[in-house]
Amino acid sequence: MIDLLATRGYFLVAFLLMGVGTYMLIGSPNLIKKVIGMNVFQTGIFLFFITSAFVEGGSPPLLSAPPPYVSPLPHVLILTAIVVGVSLTAVALGLIVRIYDEYGSLRESEIREVAADE
Amino acid sequence: MSDAERRVERGGPYVGSPIIMATVRVVMPFVFTFGLFVMFHGADSSGGGFQGGVIVGTVVLMLGIAFGIEATRDWIGPRLPVALVGIGVLAFLFTGIGSVLLGAGFLEYAVYGDLGIPHPSKYGIEFVELAIGVIVAGIVTGLFFAIAAGTTGGESA
Amino acid sequence: MSSLPALLVAAPLLGSVLALLAGLIRSNTGWPVALVTAAVQVVGAGVLAMRAFDSTVSYVVGGFTAPFGIELVVDGLSATIALLVAVVSLAVLAYSRAAGPRTNAFYAVYLLLVAGLTGMSITGDVFNMYVFLEITGLAAYALVASGEGGRSARAALKYLIVGTIGASLFLLGIGYAFIATGTLNMADLSTQLAAVGHTEPLVQAAFALLVVGLFVKVAVFPLHAWQPDAYAGSPDSVSALISALVSTVAAYALIRIVFTVFTVEFLQANPAARSLLVAGAVVSIVFGSVLAVSQTEIKRMLAYSSVSQFGLVVGAIAVANETALIGATIHLVGHAVMKGGLFLTAGLIATATGARTVDDYEGLIQRHPLGAGVFGLLALSMVGVPPAVGFVGKWYIALGAVEASSWPLAVVILLSTLLTLAYFARILERMFFRDASPHSSAIRTAPDGGVAVDGVSIGMIGVVVAAALAAVVLGTLAFEYGQLLEPTVQALLS
Repeated sequence: MIDLLATRGYFLVAFLLMGVGTYMLIGSPNLIKKVIGMNVFQTGIFLFFITSAFVEGGSPPLLSAPPPYVSPLPHVLILTAIVVGVSLTAVALGLIVRIYDEYGSLRESEIREVAADE
Repeated sequence: MSDAERRVERGGPYVGSPIIMATVRVVMPFVFTFGLFVMFHGADSSGGGFQGGVIVGTVVLMLGIAFGIEATRDWIGPRLPVALVGIGVLAFLFTGIGSVLLGAGFLEYAVYGDLGIPHPSKYGIEFVELAIGVIVAGIVTGLFFAIAAGTTGGESA
Repeated sequence: MSSLPALLVAAPLLGSVLALLAGLIRSNTGWPVALVTAAVQVVGAGVLAMRAFDSTVSYVVGGFTAPFGIELVVDGLSATIALLVAVVSLAVLAYSRAAGPRTNAFYAVYLLLVAGLTGMSITGDVFNMYVFLEITGLAAYALVASGEGGRSARAALKYLIVGTIGASLFLLGIGYAFIATGTLNMADLSTQLAAVGHTEPLVQAAFALLVVGLFVKVAVFPLHAWQPDAYAGSPDSVSALISALVSTVAAYALIRIVFTVFTVEFLQANPAARSLLVAGAVVSIVFGSVLAVSQTEIKRMLAYSSVSQFGLVVGAIAVANETALIGATIHLVGHAVMKGGLFLTAGLIATATGARTVDDYEGLIQRHPLGAGVFGLLALSMVGVPPAVGFVGKWYIALGAVEASSWPLAVVILLSTLLTLAYFARILERMFFRDASPHSSAIRTAPDGGVAVDGVSIGMIGVVVAAALAAVVLGTLAFEYGQLLEPTVQALLS
């Protein structure tokens, strides 16, 4: 068990973050907290990817540093994925602003009540 | 009267603190320079188009928080963010299409060497990173103003 | 021109930016820009299809050679889907001139969706597919939100959250595959994954994550919950575009991942993988139809119908033999035409008569004979009446299931025809065999989630009739097309 934590600790933390994010997505009644949960979920995935790229005793992937290098390809992939995540959060927040204007509340149960009336 | 104007009139959360105004006035050019530095250094060290663009966009956000969002939006104008995004994407696309017109594949930087540009791959990637930085800065400022306006936000990314 | 694949993705991007910039100068210029771009896209996709059916077109972007750079691979299947995307987007454009939202921003996002869909269908690199999947998703969320009122915003937010989870699972699957092999190129991945071993837990986990992520995007039951709200809450032209294209290209991505990355050997080595696909298919077909029967709103019913039809395609993937895959492709194309046509017809009827629920459709044959006729024709072709394309697709899939001796699946596929008839029969009966009640003929409410418009234009009628005719004509052409597709499918299965 301790052995598992020592060698695979980062991966466990990444999946813990994913779990926390999923719980926030499902469990929070507030829409903005759901979006924050989505962000935490994606952060867990990014952490997973980046820790997989690490090489023991490796140096940063810069030409001025000596080999062996930490693998730079996952870094680039995650940069793209982070930008995608930011765009998604931006669109989600824009939609939430519009929902707030229409329904007057950010809580999912109240929005559903108002929507059922219309 | 929009929500934001009402907030400004009430002396709302964004206007009036002399400390923030003075700090932003001093710090802003350095943040902008740092953003440009990060944009240019993507290839050799940490940084690149996305990161630098966000930092440059943050400059406008800081101005908005210090001096009032409505005032900053009037200064930037409604068209500048969209125009920046458009120019950035066009620059990227024409870098790609230009290499097709010169006879090689899409976005093949090496063919620009025939035009006499030294180190075409390196400078090609730098140019594209700058274009990406412009796009991201435009989007960050545009989104900030769109979401802050309230009713007009949320139509398109 | 040899850079055609890359230019096919760059052209709608260019069009999107030009539409955005044209909006700065003058408003209402979005539609002409979009029309020109869509026409260019159809021509380009057509030329690419002609080349791809000769021999698979392979193109590396930027001159960086294959496993290190991004490779675009276009075989017969990809070219079909790319051409379908181009043609359907042009057709919906003709419809949306009068009906749909007219802002420049709408057309910019429309063209961005076309770029994302085309990119997803011609790429040969899994991470590139993820990027285009997200571009498609973002554009789709923004398009769904372009309707008026809070309903569109809520539907778009639900679609966004569920779709993001699906795409994130897809990314996680890519991560697992990358950790196992170190490469992202699809052709390279297939050899490397075979070298690692198809029964390794890492490879199995990668498959499960990729497939479940795509199940969310294809809207397989029980991951379909975003679809009824998104289709019903968006404007009519957007419903047609998204229902015809987004899930279709996601199903194509599923075919690509299962057969090009994890080959048929993986399915043979892991019966559990095949069970996952079969379970998803059977549950979608049955529950999609059952839920469709109980709906009152037409667009929600059509959305649940989509769930059921894509269950058929997933079933064909599970069977994994040549006949079934040809059937899956024909059904993907046919379903896109038929479902898009049904949504456009529903929009036409709603604009002309204000009818939006099943009860409103009573006696429609008297109030709006053209709309009722076209709707009936498309519904019958969806049920699977020969010689329409709905029949041919299902026939091939059922034949494939029987050839592979997977009897439960074959029975469910044959049952799906009855189930489809169940939910379409209610509407057909109301349209043709009942008189217009005073309640239904007096309906004139402003359509929900759509833009109220003065009338029905020739473009709208033209596109709807063309869709109905295409559904029948494609059915007659489908057998030849199946033969054209054979070499591609054999290459996929080897």
